[in-house]
Amino acid sequence: MKLTCTQENFKKAIYSTERVVGKQITLPILENILLETDNGMLKISATNLEIGVFLKIGAKIEEEGKITVPARLLSNFVNNIQNVGTVSLSVVDQTLHIESGSSKAQIKGLQATDFPIIPEMEGEFLFSLPAQEMKEAIPRLMICVSLDSTRPELTGLNFVLDKLEVRIAATDSFRLAESVVTLIKDNAQAYDLFMEKTTSIIVPLNTISEVFRVINPETQNIKIGIEESQIFFQIDNVRIVSRLINGKYPPYQQIIPETFATKVILSKEDALRAVKIAGIFTHSKAGEVKFSVNAEDKEVLVQSKAEEVGENKTNINAEIEGPSVEALFNPRYMADGLQAVSTSYLALLMNSGSSPAVLRMVQGEKKEEMLNYTYIIMPIKN
Amino acid sequence: MNNAELWQAALGEIELSISKANFSTWFKNTTILSNENGKVVIGVPNGFAKEWLENKYNTYIFRALRNFRDDIREISCIIYSNEQAPAGATRKMDSVAQVADQQSSAENYQANTYVQQPLQGAMNPAAPNAAFENNINSRYTFENFIIGENNELARAACFAVSQNLGKIYNPLFIYGGVGLGKTHLLQSIGNEVLANDPSRRIKYITSERFANELIDSIRNQTVNDFKSAYQAIDLLIIDDVQFLAGKEKTQNEFFHIFNALYQINKQIVISSDRPPKAIATLEDRLRSRFEGGMIADIGKPDVETRIAILKTKSAENNFYMDEEAIRFIAENVKNNIRELEGALNRIIAACEFNKKLPTLKFVQQALAEIISSGKKKGIQSQHVIEAISQYFNISTRELIEKGRKKEIAYARHIAMYLMRSELNVSYPSIGSQFGGRDHTTALHAYEKINKELENDEKVREDVTILRERIYAV
Repeated sequence: MKLTCTQENFKKAIYSTERVVGKQITLPILENILLETDNGMLKISATNLEIGVFLKIGAKIEEEGKITVPARLLSNFVNNIQNVGTVSLSVVDQTLHIESGSSKAQIKGLQATDFPIIPEMEGEFLFSLPAQEMKEAIPRLMICVSLDSTRPELTGLNFVLDKLEVRIAATDSFRLAESVVTLIKDNAQAYDLFMEKTTSIIVPLNTISEVFRVINPETQNIKIGIEESQIFFQIDNVRIVSRLINGKYPPYQQIIPETFATKVILSKEDALRAVKIAGIFTHSKAGEVKFSVNAEDKEVLVQSKAEEVGENKTNINAEIEGPSVEALFNPRYMADGLQAVSTSYLALLMNSGSSPAVLRMVQGEKKEEMLNYTYIIMPIKN
Repeated sequence: MNNAELWQAALGEIELSISKANFSTWFKNTTILSNENGKVVIGVPNGFAKEWLENKYNTYIFRALRNFRDDIREISCIIYSNEQAPAGATRKMDSVAQVADQQSSAENYQANTYVQQPLQGAMNPAAPNAAFENNINSRYTFENFIIGENNELARAACFAVSQNLGKIYNPLFIYGGVGLGKTHLLQSIGNEVLANDPSRRIKYITSERFANELIDSIRNQTVNDFKSAYQAIDLLIIDDVQFLAGKEKTQNEFFHIFNALYQINKQIVISSDRPPKAIATLEDRLRSRFEGGMIADIGKPDVETRIAILKTKSAENNFYMDEEAIRFIAENVKNNIRELEGALNRIIAACEFNKKLPTLKFVQQALAEIISSGKKKGIQSQHVIEAISQYFNISTRELIEKGRKKEIAYARHIAMYLMRSELNVSYPSIGSQFGGRDHTTALHAYEKINKELENDEKVREDVTILRERIYAV
């Protein structure tokens, strides 16, 4: 192999692939990334056998070939070299020679034929999602994903496919977040055919966070294809392949109440501050913060109490529709939900102290609810 | 041979032809989903395995399957999940259920369930009964045995035996130090055989219990019943056979039972903590028979294997530890797997008790007592010499002076050995501490004791006790 490419592209490519490489004891080659020439381009691949990532960058190729080298070593080297514009790579006897400006390096590699084959997509992409919407939605959802491996179906994000939109949800069974993202049909026929078979898939958390990292501010769309319990993402020139989680996602729609008796419009900052303070005055784990909505005085009283620590109360002014109500929440879960809100005001919707409460963002003069993000939190019952 | 058996047999072959890392990475959780008209469909857990098996290991799989079924023409892989399938005996049933799910054809579904159901019915009532008689503990299976370079051969031999009773390696003799997994392997054979054919008569027994049963039968004058009961067994597993050493009558009886079973091609599996040659008072005719079959040893696990073991064990306990901490334990607890488990249990308990996360620092503290070597604790040559003089009741002066009385020379040798092995003192320095002796004297003492440790129970006992005493300071 002998080629030259721009330093910027090469660096970006290494950065995008290197992160999936994990510490592998059983199969050392998984700590490597694969460099190979492919139809006049340089293809760079990495995998941990759960997720596979590859991308192609333009390069001037003098001699075809391929090699795998340790990912960390290569990325550390590439990150520290002087920026001179181009990098030349060549392979001699299982060793990768890199030359860029005044720096030269020789990295011992392993045979490329031993590198796992990253599955290719056989059909076409089914649909796309707008990248910037996803970039906003993913962190709001990731906070709710369960880490409990005894329920594998909760360790990922649930995508429910519909005609015009995709509902993405995450839950750890104490709280749930759902985002609605617009769907772009690339291939209407194939998509409709796919929807006949299944409309619900579960994507592992790690895969989603990888997708999130690859999205950059210029990215337009994320193309998605699903085949044989695998999902394929195409984000700019980066392809991510991952297994899907098998299992049935709980039918969470049923627990979201359709109507709410009380609607409270709060300032995000005030509410978050009150909850954080309340969190200090609770037991480390089993803490609870009490929300008392007072319809007459137009205010919400947030209070907490711990026997051996002390207690606190915070009053927040609020716009309230409907009757007074009281409920207890876990302060950490409440703070997570409030933090996910990106508008300065939000709506807290409640029915009673024992039914789920909902947080939504509001916008405009009239403070209308936005339905594209819903955070549901179960109250602690007395 | 059903699909599960066929695949197990094929895996046994494939395992021998590729490296263990590759084997465990690519063939974990695979199974044959269907086998019709020479077309075999293999279920694999993910797309990577599918690509790899189809493109790289195709020929291996093909060859292995052809060995057992020569009508196989085509192999393909599909992705399927058995994540929910619990490990152990129920696994095969589950995978069948999965197959049934996969194959939408109603015919196949029925065929499978009809074949499997009576089997399941026959198995369950028999299971508790059989477990009582054959002493097989269902906790030990090949699935949860962690393979490393140290035990690869022994494991492969045991697995091969379990697939082919009495035909290939008979007798199979497994030896290795304490806590390295001999019993696990032996029990796995029993479990595997039972899982494939519950009607097999299996007996797992320690040589100690064998001797006791024999003594009882002599006292009750039922020796003949005792013999005939053993001679009707398909698979006899004798654990810790070294305890037969010195018991002549027991050896004699065992010899006859052994011969009787061997002649009718019944499988015998034996374990010991040392090779047959090194069991001092074993009768020659038994020794030569032990050596006549396959002998495999289990060595100490290397660091990678220890890490793998720790990871598996902590996962079993639902306990999360970071890489650094695991590596630390694996690097410091070296000698046997039981110690390793002990260390892990200690950490889990300490974490729960102190409500702390197992960070590297915490782990180091929690294990400080177990793993501190002599040097760390500030033990010096003087401590060793004092301990020896107390233990053998010889004054330190006598120990150092030139006396060559047998007892004194022996004590001196052990002292030199311990200074070398525990404190890593140089030979010249050992020599000079013992009244200016030459370094070759120290070298000779070290090598002599080291050799005797293998063969002489008394020496081993002395060294173990002394080592404890030194560290008890």
